[in-house]
Amino acid sequence: MSQEMSHTGPLLKLDNVGISFGGLRAVDQLDFAVEKGHIVGLIGPNGAGKTTVFNMITGVYKPTDGAILWKDRDIGALPPYKVAQCGILRTFQTIRLFSGMTVLENVLAGQHMQTRQAWWASLLSTPGQRREERDLRERCMAILDRLNLADVAHEPATSLPYGVQRRVELARTLAASPELLILDEPAAGLNDQESAELNTQIREIRDSGVTILLVEHDMNVVMNVTDRIVVINFGRKIAEGEPLSVRNDPQVIEAYLGSDEDEDVA
Amino acid sequence: MKEQIYRWAGPSLWVLGLGVPFALSANWISILALFAIYAVVALSQDIVLGRAGMFDMGHAVYFGVGAYTTAILNVTYGWPIFWTMIPAIIAAALVGGILAAPLVKLRGDYLLVATIGVSQIFHLAMVNNTAGVTGGPDGIFGVGVPSIFGHQLISQGNEYLVDWGLLGIVLLLMKNLEHSRLGRVFRYLKEDELAATTLGVNARYYKILAFALGAGIAGAAGTLFASQLAVVSPGAFVFTESVTLFAIVLVGGQASIPGVLLGTVLMFVVPQVFRELAQYRYFAFGIGMIVVMVVRPQGIWPRRRRMG
Repeated sequence: MSQEMSHTGPLLKLDNVGISFGGLRAVDQLDFAVEKGHIVGLIGPNGAGKTTVFNMITGVYKPTDGAILWKDRDIGALPPYKVAQCGILRTFQTIRLFSGMTVLENVLAGQHMQTRQAWWASLLSTPGQRREERDLRERCMAILDRLNLADVAHEPATSLPYGVQRRVELARTLAASPELLILDEPAAGLNDQESAELNTQIREIRDSGVTILLVEHDMNVVMNVTDRIVVINFGRKIAEGEPLSVRNDPQVIEAYLGSDEDEDVA
Repeated sequence: MKEQIYRWAGPSLWVLGLGVPFALSANWISILALFAIYAVVALSQDIVLGRAGMFDMGHAVYFGVGAYTTAILNVTYGWPIFWTMIPAIIAAALVGGILAAPLVKLRGDYLLVATIGVSQIFHLAMVNNTAGVTGGPDGIFGVGVPSIFGHQLISQGNEYLVDWGLLGIVLLLMKNLEHSRLGRVFRYLKEDELAATTLGVNARYYKILAFALGAGIAGAAGTLFASQLAVVSPGAFVFTESVTLFAIVLVGGQASIPGVLLGTVLMFVVPQVFRELAQYRYFAFGIGMIVVMVVRPQGIWPRRRRMG
């Protein structure tokens, strides 16, 4: 707790981060920071390295250079489960729900770190264990309620429509009580109405005290909800700032629409 | 109503099983005693394979470690059978956990091949009496019977009841596992390891735990197996035994208690009953396994989709 109190400055800071896969430099000299309470958007054309950045932050890939600082502590070398224990939780671009399990069982996975029962208590079904299981279910049902998923709590998760599955994954991630929530294309595959609902949900999550970093192609979402945008292309940062200023940045326009020279070549 | 039947059918069948020594012939008692023991081993294989989703093709090794531990402690050092069960469980769990530690990094088919290697090494070590205490190819003779408060449970019926009791305890543990954090974590790892780890699950720890737990339970069954047959020899823990256990879980139904029990009946009990036809046995089973896997890949009695 005292560490939390003494911590000032950004929650998450990428300092000169880079990664190579064989000869390919996927991300290079990347610097940006996420302030507490902000919604930060990471955007860029396809193949710019956005998901790679997420994978480095969450410990799935280890950066070859630079440092990823969480509250001033380098977490670049930590395995994913330890990153999660820091309070950094993510969703996936391609939804990764546990198939063959119900919505509730999926959301219970989010509560893994909040669960205390020892393995032998699980096997012996001690009174404490049963009490904890009841509490867990109640807490998860409350989360499902908040995301309008209570009706489908006992349905097999992967049999639901795509948009609902996205919400289930979000519910599962929220169940883990994130401090920083990382969303990898949360609007992908959603219709207009669902994506409008998502805007509201993202703001509500932020208002409940969660900092958010998101990758998104849907400019409607990005421009509406973010406080700050970082633009990358070919693994390098090309712009950073508030949504409006980024939108009018010539380099960003060029990256997205291509320059005149490109057109000549084409 | 249907829910009620499902809930009480299992416990009722188990209670009914307590009457076996008083109702059936000696031949049936010994068949069902072996069923109870092999059902425990199959359920423990299911923890690793069916629930945690790891291709463990060496499960007979842990069964064997338990049986040999009991045989050595009982025959050589004169320990009572029940007391040997504790070191048998610990020894099997340790072997399972220690072997798993470097192996759980391997995925699917690679893990399968590695565990086959483990199985072969164990068999060779027992046949060649590598440790000097396992009696070589003939094994260890004269394993005693369990005793309670100084009374030896000499009769076949009493030994059966001990086996049946262990099966009851293990069934209870498996039932608890289904409604617990541990059971869920195993399934998360089976379905999507990456998603599980990004939610804070220490995959390596839980995979090793699954192996140690499955091995420990198999070790307990090993103790009763040694006592039941009075002899422990390498032939009972060969690679094909591991394959049979693997097949029981797949054919019966992964992570399904009735499925695994049914699989055990098909693979161990039915062959005992139709002994005269022994030469056609593997022929019939081979065809049966092919048909089940093609027609019903989820197993004959798959896990039910239901959560309270």
